[in-house]
Amino acid sequence: MTRVVEVPSSFDDRSFDQFAGAIGAWPPDARLLIDARGVQWVSPYGLVGLLSAAQALKDQACPLPLFTMPQNDDVNRYWARSGFYEHAEGLFELHGKVPKHAGGNTETLLAVSPIRAIDDVHKAVTDISTNAARIVVEQLGIKAQETMRFGMALSEACQNIVEHSGSIGWVAAQSYTWRRKLGRKVVVMAVSDSGIGFRRSLEALHARRIGDRWGDGAAIEAGLIQNVSRFRDPGRGQGLALIKRFVLQWDGKIAIRSGTARLSIVPKWDDDVPLAEHIPYFPGSQVQITIPAPEAA
Amino acid sequence: MIQTIRLEELLRDTPTPLSRHLVTRPTGRAVRGGIERTVAETGCAMAVLDFTEVGLLDMSCADEVVAKLLLAGIACHVVLAGLREDQLEAVDHVLRHHGLAAVALVAESAPYVLGLADEDMRRAFGCVCSAGPMTSEALADQLGWRSERAAETLAVLVAQRLASAEGDEFHPLPLP
Repeated sequence: MTRVVEVPSSFDDRSFDQFAGAIGAWPPDARLLIDARGVQWVSPYGLVGLLSAAQALKDQACPLPLFTMPQNDDVNRYWARSGFYEHAEGLFELHGKVPKHAGGNTETLLAVSPIRAIDDVHKAVTDISTNAARIVVEQLGIKAQETMRFGMALSEACQNIVEHSGSIGWVAAQSYTWRRKLGRKVVVMAVSDSGIGFRRSLEALHARRIGDRWGDGAAIEAGLIQNVSRFRDPGRGQGLALIKRFVLQWDGKIAIRSGTARLSIVPKWDDDVPLAEHIPYFPGSQVQITIPAPEAA
Repeated sequence: MIQTIRLEELLRDTPTPLSRHLVTRPTGRAVRGGIERTVAETGCAMAVLDFTEVGLLDMSCADEVVAKLLLAGIACHVVLAGLREDQLEAVDHVLRHHGLAAVALVAESAPYVLGLADEDMRRAFGCVCSAGPMTSEALADQLGWRSERAAETLAVLVAQRLASAEGDEFHPLPLP
């Protein structure tokens, strides 16, 4: 039996819940067909989320999911340029023609990249640092010396996959113009893994302290707001503190989804809720950091 | 003896040199090991950790390299040199988190204290650095403090290894 899971036509962190809901219970009781034919737009979050879904299915020895590519040629070429198909092979049974890689994307800060070990973190940091110097400075009008902080934030987010998730993950970053909400350029960095998630990672040390309120939402809150860690080492937990400070400094947004909850630090320009609970379950953790260009840029 | 330790060289000497960035805890642990070995081999009284050619420094690595080095009670004074603004922020954050302080040298600026240090500590540190060895009474005179306040503050500077004590005198670190 095969279940069709339609990918939303505009696939980002907000429509991700619709995608997760279409998958249903984990592990799924049927082979999945991920239908991306109708996709018109995808964010880095959507791309790394799809790979995490497939990785989670693989981790749970589920049948290889089928994947039908976007019908829109431009959209499909973008998926190819982003590096998605390089990593999707082996995780999906791909249906459709993978476009030939037609050069790089001038707005890609970081192509879709796997995070399996520490050397992958170094590579991602090196890549985003090189591209940030070009894209962030030229397109967002952010000073060159400030671009270092993009790499620092990305490094901390990616390390969490290696140190806490128990699985592998994916990262991607892109700049684009966000006409609908801001009318400005933004940089979006997305990191997703298919691992144990915040709740299971922090449960042993922190569930008892938090008591009845313990769950996915409380666990993300403990990590992002209270900066606790699953390690007893008192130096731990500072990575998310750095990311939070970086986001606040740039009037940006961070949203962390794990299990059935999503916690966000919401700037004035966004209408998201700070805490969404009882949303459709999805394995692992997904982080999106959005940094807008300064208003004058 | 003052030993300058160039961190980008230690990065290159790690078992798996990955980049010029001081990122990730395993990288930080390897670099800290290199610092500890250098200090043990040279028997130096002061290690100047030179960040000049280092790319990024993330919070995890700052914790492993700087905070854990100080927490472990390294056998010499430690001074941080060549930190850029973003790197200063990371180091300052981890030091404050652990209740630690360290001396930073930044080009064309007087030495200053990074991390958890109150205004009294910063003023006393600045005074000892600019005026040279002094007793707590001399510091009290200079800053118009009561002698107990000066003595307590200098004792904290020594405990945090931001100055040294010889008899009744408090000495600035022999900065390069």
